[in-house]
Amino acid sequence: MSGLPIDFDLAWRSLPELLAGLQVTVLITVLPLLFGLALAFPICFARMSARRWLSLPAELFVVFFRGAPLLILLYVVYYGFGQIALLREGPLWLLFGSPFGCAIVALTFNHAAYMTEVLRGSLLAVPGGIVEASEALGISRRHIFIWVKMPLAIRYGLKAYQNEVVSFVKGTAIVSVVTITDLTAVANGIFEQTYDPFTPILCAAALYWAFINLLRIGFELWGRWLGRHQREEASPLTAEAPRRFGLRRLSSLAKAML
Amino acid sequence: MTNLSPADIAGYLRQLGEGALVTLELFLTSFAAAFVLGVLIGVITLSKNRFVRAAWRVYASIFMGVPSLLVIFLVYYGGSAMLSAVFGEFGAAIDISPFGAGVAAFAAVYAAYIAELVRGAIDNLPKGQFEGARALAIPPAVMWGKVILPQAMRLALPGLVNVWSFMLKETPLVSLAGLQDLVASAKIAAGATKEPFLFFIATALVFIAFSALTLKLATVLEIRLDRGIRRTPARASAGAEA
Repeated sequence: MSGLPIDFDLAWRSLPELLAGLQVTVLITVLPLLFGLALAFPICFARMSARRWLSLPAELFVVFFRGAPLLILLYVVYYGFGQIALLREGPLWLLFGSPFGCAIVALTFNHAAYMTEVLRGSLLAVPGGIVEASEALGISRRHIFIWVKMPLAIRYGLKAYQNEVVSFVKGTAIVSVVTITDLTAVANGIFEQTYDPFTPILCAAALYWAFINLLRIGFELWGRWLGRHQREEASPLTAEAPRRFGLRRLSSLAKAML
Repeated sequence: MTNLSPADIAGYLRQLGEGALVTLELFLTSFAAAFVLGVLIGVITLSKNRFVRAAWRVYASIFMGVPSLLVIFLVYYGGSAMLSAVFGEFGAAIDISPFGAGVAAFAAVYAAYIAELVRGAIDNLPKGQFEGARALAIPPAVMWGKVILPQAMRLALPGLVNVWSFMLKETPLVSLAGLQDLVASAKIAAGATKEPFLFFIATALVFIAFSALTLKLATVLEIRLDRGIRRTPARASAGAEA
């Protein structure tokens, strides 16, 4: 055995396979992120409603899908929904009949539950006076929400959103248990063929790391763009800004997970 | 709906109970290991030494940017090779169990998060605490143990509670390395009885109940740790929170 545990030849040969796995991982990240976010809005409105019959189910949804481990959610959807005869004949079988559809459903519900709480926290952080002022100006409720509350809520909730997205990407590693060949599954497969315990897993880890840090940089840029009005006031800091883009900056971004 | 006999149910319940104990044991061991390691790393990396800080940044970036599942697999598959590289012949004789791999992986991953929290908490303490301890000639070990860390823990508690509940939800991952824990037992029971909803949802509810119970305890702990800071009576602030 050489000094380094990595077999570069094997790493190079398995790179196309690993990149194909990364594609699946990206797909299985992006779709639930979109669906989950879309689902989070109505659930959040129900959760914040004063009517108990609306807010209670939403609360239960959040408690269940946030509190249950993702692996169990995946098992429930994958093994559970297949048992329902009614579903087997219905058009929804297109979704629940494939492992990919099941994983999307489980991940979407999980993400929606987390995003409901992120969204609720951000909306509650919007100062009441601003909303009252908008109402006093006769702005319609819909416009207040779109043009007053949401722009502020996005700024308050961006950090929490980023943490949720990053931990969500790491969570997608489990979809390999329902036979989806994502990055983790590809690395596992190469291990089983070669019995090299380091090369495939370390290569997959490097790809995950790159993907996650790309997301972090994206969020960092988005946050800077959203906060551009504040930066102009503190001009001495702007000269420093490009230098703050190092590893330290990225690792400090991961301060809190939830 | 169900066609299970009471004897069957009792049998599966016993199996699930055993699995739950394994899960609990794994979780508590991993959290304790991650906590001790995290506090140590957090305190050590506050050093001004550039190399220590650079090493911390690399460590935190890696373990915060990689799924825990991969770390578990790496330790489980590669653990023996790593041990034999470090300890030679003696290390090669040690067999890595899924339990050991899980504890090692979670300790390595979550120590990074806990160290980050501890560093932040210590940074937020007034500098006078360090200066006062030094002025009173308190030895460093006593300063950390009796002055700095108790205050830092109060500040770090909300973050630690987050790590606690997040880690709890990741413990089932070790079943994928072959550990016979609660989720693995539930999967077997679900497959054998063709009652996946019953067993998986019951398992999910066990996790939710445990998490809710410990969050209640965390609130009690928080009130207790805050007792030196709080001005208003305990009852009033507890009532305002609820």
